[in-house]
Amino acid sequence: MKILVTVKQVAAVDDDFEIRTDGRDVDPDFLIHDLNEWDNFSLEEAMKIKEAAGGEVEVVVVSVGPESVDEELRKCLAKGADRAIRVWDDSVEGSDPIAIARIIAAVAKNEAPDMLFAGVQASDHSYAATGIATASFLGWPHAAVVSLLNYTPGSKMATLQRELEGGTYAEVELECPAVLTIQLGINVPRYASLRGIKQAAAKPIDVLTPSALGLAATDVGEAGSLSRVRRMYVPAKGQAELIEGTPAEQVARLVKIIQEFKGV
Amino acid sequence: MARDPKYDILFEPIQIGPKTLRNRFYQVPHCIGAGSDLPGFQAAHRSIKAEGGWGAMNTEYCSIHPESDDTHRLSARLWDEGDVRNLSAMTEHIHKHGALAGVELWYGGAHAPCMESRATPRGPSQYASEFETLTYCKEMDLQDIKEVQQFYVDAARRARDAGFDIVYVYGAHSYLPLQFLSPYYNKRTDGYGGSLANRARFWLETLEQVRNAVGKDCAIATRFACDTLYGPGGIEVENDGIKFVEMADPLVDLWDVDVGDIAEWGEDAGPSRFYLQGHQVPWTKMIKQVSKKPVLGVGRFTDPEKMAEIVTKGYADIIGAARPSIADPFLPNKIKEGRIDDIRVCIGCNVCISRWEIGGPPIICTQNATAGEEYRRGWHPEKFPKKGSNDSVLVVGAGPSGSECARVLMERDYTVHLYDSAEKIGGHLNGVITLPGLGEWGYHRDYRETQIAKLVKKNKTCQVALGQKPITVDEILAYGAEKVVIATGSSWNTDGTNCLTHDPIPGADASLPDQLTPEQVMSGKKAIGKRVVILNADTYFMAPSLAEKLAAAGHEVTIVSGVHMANYMHFTLEYPNMMRRLHELHVEEIGDSFCSKIEKGRLEVYSIWGDGSKRTYRGPGVLPRDANKSHRWVEFDSLILVTGRHSNDELHRGLKARESEWEKNGIKGVYLIGDAEAPRLIADATFTGQRVAREIESANAQFALPYKREVAVWGVSHMPGATNTAIEYQV
Repeated sequence: MKILVTVKQVAAVDDDFEIRTDGRDVDPDFLIHDLNEWDNFSLEEAMKIKEAAGGEVEVVVVSVGPESVDEELRKCLAKGADRAIRVWDDSVEGSDPIAIARIIAAVAKNEAPDMLFAGVQASDHSYAATGIATASFLGWPHAAVVSLLNYTPGSKMATLQRELEGGTYAEVELECPAVLTIQLGINVPRYASLRGIKQAAAKPIDVLTPSALGLAATDVGEAGSLSRVRRMYVPAKGQAELIEGTPAEQVARLVKIIQEFKGV
Repeated sequence: MARDPKYDILFEPIQIGPKTLRNRFYQVPHCIGAGSDLPGFQAAHRSIKAEGGWGAMNTEYCSIHPESDDTHRLSARLWDEGDVRNLSAMTEHIHKHGALAGVELWYGGAHAPCMESRATPRGPSQYASEFETLTYCKEMDLQDIKEVQQFYVDAARRARDAGFDIVYVYGAHSYLPLQFLSPYYNKRTDGYGGSLANRARFWLETLEQVRNAVGKDCAIATRFACDTLYGPGGIEVENDGIKFVEMADPLVDLWDVDVGDIAEWGEDAGPSRFYLQGHQVPWTKMIKQVSKKPVLGVGRFTDPEKMAEIVTKGYADIIGAARPSIADPFLPNKIKEGRIDDIRVCIGCNVCISRWEIGGPPIICTQNATAGEEYRRGWHPEKFPKKGSNDSVLVVGAGPSGSECARVLMERDYTVHLYDSAEKIGGHLNGVITLPGLGEWGYHRDYRETQIAKLVKKNKTCQVALGQKPITVDEILAYGAEKVVIATGSSWNTDGTNCLTHDPIPGADASLPDQLTPEQVMSGKKAIGKRVVILNADTYFMAPSLAEKLAAAGHEVTIVSGVHMANYMHFTLEYPNMMRRLHELHVEEIGDSFCSKIEKGRLEVYSIWGDGSKRTYRGPGVLPRDANKSHRWVEFDSLILVTGRHSNDELHRGLKARESEWEKNGIKGVYLIGDAEAPRLIADATFTGQRVAREIESANAQFALPYKREVAVWGVSHMPGATNTAIEYQV
């Protein structure tokens, strides 16, 4: 039995930051990295299933990214994941969620898990696309925004609850293997113990390239993407004016502002 | 980060007489328990603030002559050459950091009981002190006045020789100059009594004489209670207050103004329970309107916004601070460096002051565990030695001691995991701060929460796990930490165990619906009836705080107390207004009484003095006094048990019982800190956390390393130049 958990190293911006000179991303000098918040919950969900099954389930975490991503993979290993896979070479640079999903689908084909968990979204780019796109490439059933899961490893079906708009929920039954995107709050993620952290240092992280997974250069990077970021920017802040003076003066100023605004 | 320009005004130098104060941050005189006899303590405690950016540091009140001897409390002294030598250590170290050193010359009159010197204090008239009620002064004749004024002059010269830049004539807190000025004390009919001009004469003459003696070398300051808060019977700021300032203005270089007296000096050093920062401003701001000299005022200023406002609005030129400087000796530098959220904000608990009131043991601070430890333990408030090993540490419990321990270990670059079942750092303090007036105590938690969040961000091997299931002994053994610190706190007793009988009280059981512990009251989950009885055997704030909380909410509250309720609040200066508050709320106290048994809806109360006064031997099995027959029933709807606390030490006991398994699990040491070791003041719990974090490499960090003791050593003379230390009788 095997559960594949996809994770992402997300970036947060420091208090003050600058945009990269090409204008398409934040200058990496100003980024603070961490494991995507949702991924703590999908890993925990996998760990709960593993522990409930008495250890016969292998939990494999997979991520696409450069060497710095190992830090996040080690966090997952420290919490009990059995092994980790990281896919990267320079050709992956510039991939959008579709290209990333194609890579993850290739990993999933190799690993043949019984279930694949992804976070609903990543806290930095918030596409909420990678998980579902992966399901599409695999041709597997999928469910997004899963807030409760009832699944026994090895069973053909899983029942789950999806969080919908307006406080409603949908109860869904689907066939496995499936791709589920896991919502915050589905469980209480554990913290790693110091022993777990020490042991994680000795667990394997397999580093694969897209070509080793049978992907062509045109499958990844900008060539394999359906979208590209044209510009990243901080929107101009709204302005406020304090209108002072006598009531008559204030009204005069207000009328003038309204006229300017309407272009009269 | 650079400092915010709105605070620039706080960093403008200002001239005070012949000296330049480098900025507007001024540590007013305050006690620390060092005086002149612990010169290392004195020098280090004051000079660390000079390093932290303060512009001037003062001694505590400093006696000018054995006639002004405050023993059983601890003042500095400038009686002789030995004192000059000892205090010069302070001035020298302050000067190294470019700051000014001041000394507050003090003559107490009847408030000084002279228990060491056995001298007779002199005063303007004869009265018994309202503060030290068994001490009377001798009424001064004109010769006495001249002699006492000469004591000031001689002490001022010694102060100059010791290197002081600022010399005070201390007339706040009802000490001698104010005793002459105030008709509350001064009943004279000669040239030193009666009219304001006559009542002011002693103070003005003294200032003039001190100025003539040392005014070229030193700035002359005076500390003045510009309103004694007695109404027309004392000094009122808009009458004698500002008139005296006008009269004395040419003779002083610096005004240090406050309000109140000595018997209730909590009206000056106002505890946060009753007073916000800047509470004296309505009185003291008037001084600036009549004086041409720099004016400083106090009021537990911790917020740079408020400080800038005080100076900008012209309420004062200089920010005086005692308590904020103790809580954070680096407050000015933190403002300067734009590190506002690093300020360790004074919580206004007045535990620092309590030590002087007790009689002068070393100062402690709830927020700053290094206060008083600068010299003897070598603790710097902002700098920490780098870790002495690669051992990782698990701290169980994120209350005052655990969070402090984790913070300091993280500062030392240790890998630290802090673990708590609560959702928030702070431990029991999170309940305490919901009690009336104690909100500002939460700054203790906030400081640690903020610092730990920053440290965890910096060192990603560190981790804070809150809201966890209570950790077990098995889990700790398997956790993988080389060192384990247990900081699991304490709880109030549910069975009535107390300091009087050292046993449970029959029938006491907080699991019953009509009996509660303080925690149960604070959590608000258990219904409380109309008639509340608080059974008290604790001498600090819990019983009166709960009484205030419940009486304000409409309950009829009676406190049955077997100990002097709120006694420690005398020391923190909270007592007078606490009692006024309970009186306002019609809280009844049945004092000197305790409880023998509890039944549903009633408790049996007895007078603790109800047994016989004659003690005789009556053989085994028989009490040596006549039996106590004062028992009676008191009814309640809800009974609150404030009888005592016990350590939550089950985890530690569990780990100790399995010590044989430590080694195979890689555990090198397990330490017990804070209330989990023994229930105590928050300040002392915090201290144990800091201490274990600093000494965790020592052979057994459970027990403190020795510190530098400043003691008089046999065979060493008491005075520079003296050699004879033999026992010699004058026969």
